[in-house]
Amino acid sequence: MTIAVLLKQVPDTTAKITVSGGRVDEGAVSKWSMSPYDEYALEYALQLKEGGGGDLVAITCGPARASKILTDAAAVGADSLVHIVSDDSGMDSSNVQNLLASAIRKTGAEVVLCGKQAADTNSGSTGPGVASILGFTCVGMVSEVSMEGDGFVAMRTSPSGNEKVSVSKPCLFAFDKAATEMRRPNVRGIMMAKKKAVESLTPADLGVTMEGSRVSLESHSAPAEKPPGQKFEGAASVPTVVSKLRDEANVI
Amino acid sequence: MPYDALDFYDVDSLLTEEERMVRDMVRDFVDNEVLPKIEQACRDGVFPDEWRVELGNMGVLGAPLKGYGCPGLSYTAYGVICRELERGDSGLRSFASVQGSLAMYPIWDFGSEEQKNYYLPKMASGEWIGCFGLTEPDYGSNPGDMITRAEDMGDHYLLNGAKMWITNGTIAQVAVVWAKLDGVIRGFIVEDGDEGFTAPEMKGKHSLKASVTSELVFQDCKIPKDRILPGVKGLRGPFSCLNNARYGISWGAIGAAQACFDSAKEYSLSRIQFDHPIASYQLVQNKLSWMLREITKAQLLAYHLSQKKDAGTWIPEHISLAKMNNVDIALEIARAARDIHGANGILDEYPVMRHMANLESVKTYEGTHDIHNLILGRHITGIQAFTRTLE
Repeated sequence: MTIAVLLKQVPDTTAKITVSGGRVDEGAVSKWSMSPYDEYALEYALQLKEGGGGDLVAITCGPARASKILTDAAAVGADSLVHIVSDDSGMDSSNVQNLLASAIRKTGAEVVLCGKQAADTNSGSTGPGVASILGFTCVGMVSEVSMEGDGFVAMRTSPSGNEKVSVSKPCLFAFDKAATEMRRPNVRGIMMAKKKAVESLTPADLGVTMEGSRVSLESHSAPAEKPPGQKFEGAASVPTVVSKLRDEANVI
Repeated sequence: MPYDALDFYDVDSLLTEEERMVRDMVRDFVDNEVLPKIEQACRDGVFPDEWRVELGNMGVLGAPLKGYGCPGLSYTAYGVICRELERGDSGLRSFASVQGSLAMYPIWDFGSEEQKNYYLPKMASGEWIGCFGLTEPDYGSNPGDMITRAEDMGDHYLLNGAKMWITNGTIAQVAVVWAKLDGVIRGFIVEDGDEGFTAPEMKGKHSLKASVTSELVFQDCKIPKDRILPGVKGLRGPFSCLNNARYGISWGAIGAAQACFDSAKEYSLSRIQFDHPIASYQLVQNKLSWMLREITKAQLLAYHLSQKKDAGTWIPEHISLAKMNNVDIALEIARAARDIHGANGILDEYPVMRHMANLESVKTYEGTHDIHNLILGRHITGIQAFTRTLE
């Protein structure tokens, strides 16, 4: 069985984001990382691989710098690495989904894991979109997945309760925050990762004709500055504070 | 605030991708498993055993050694590992230094094939802890006059004497002990449980509190004949171990200094006095810019030394300079950082006083600051100034 995991490189959640000329200034991002929900997907993909054998293919779509997260995935145990090289930031979600779906088809994977949304765009469309193109069953907001017989059992956890579902192949799991954090690599894994080749593919290699984006990005803008905090002193201000907490902050 | 490792000249961009991945791995371990526990470990005076397990799992013990289950990384990677561990705590880095450079290294370099095959895999995995017995109560900077003796009894050696200030001693399964056999210094492998061997813990330290420090006591301790290290005689044995450990310390001290700088910077930006953050005052900025200057110089020194170490073009004096300088500035930076934190600096809510107290030990062990000056003095003048007798 081939397992595919979809990974995206995003600005690290601790990196400062600046907007210049109506676009996020990518050159000013100090640190790029694997999107956190994708890390959960990778951890469970590794567990599936260890539980049932098979090959784990890590796939990313992005500019040259994105291959770093594939090496990181190799360091924790991904068997092969596919990089769809694309510097075209004008691609919309359906372009990306088409590329990813073609790459998955090429690997022959019958189960795909990914994060429920990327930490930069938060659009949440990749998982369902890829599943739809491939005709795979899609299970979203997954917090755990394991093999059972010929299929899988997934746990969907929410504050209002848990849902356990069983799914047959072919299928895609889009991960929410999961029960287990991604494992830390070790030196042996890091040294092996260095030797692992990254297969670089262009849209043409995948036989995908890039249609014009149907959604185009007009501009980015920084969030409005938060209003300054308010300070109240003395017992006399208690009624004012209570009414503000109740009517403005809506916390009581 | 997440840790922002000061690297003003982007020296880490000179590392290989593999070395940067090792850095990130150890940094993640320190962030998630060391820093949340370090203050309690210091209060309790213990080295948490789960750190041993994870150091073994990560595969960083004996980092630059090749074969026999050892990682086989570059000396540069070993330096980076030391730096990241010591950003957590000097006691944690001490554990790794002693295991790798002082206990595994002599077996790897001077041991028999049987010894290497038997001990190294278990020590690289962290299953067995090692320690290194050179210093004695009365012989610190002058180990050549050690009292500990080994006697050849025909079918075994008999060891008598005592070692002091031995990191990991009480928790170690394996001790590499240096003793005189017929007047010549030799290395012996002593195992926990050997008859006549005890390793009581030394208590009451104000420094390296999360590290185990012990005495090693040998009273007619019987050592099988196959436990002598066949490959070395004289002070060259322990000194070659110390060269590697000192090299690691020259990197490690930078980690402690970076931690102190990071804390001082954050604190000074958030601490308001006279209506403004104290970071806005010239005296504080002067301290911070001095820290940045010294850390940057130390980073360049350590990096260049690492290249010489990997290329094999180093001499021990290069290591003396780096160990001496980098620990010295780290200690001064820790003191200045403590000062910037004001009264808060003495609390274990902040890491600065812990690093400061640790670095007092680091300045002293593995060749004191002054001894390294004398090593350099001898190198410059050709005259040794360790003893009253001029060569």
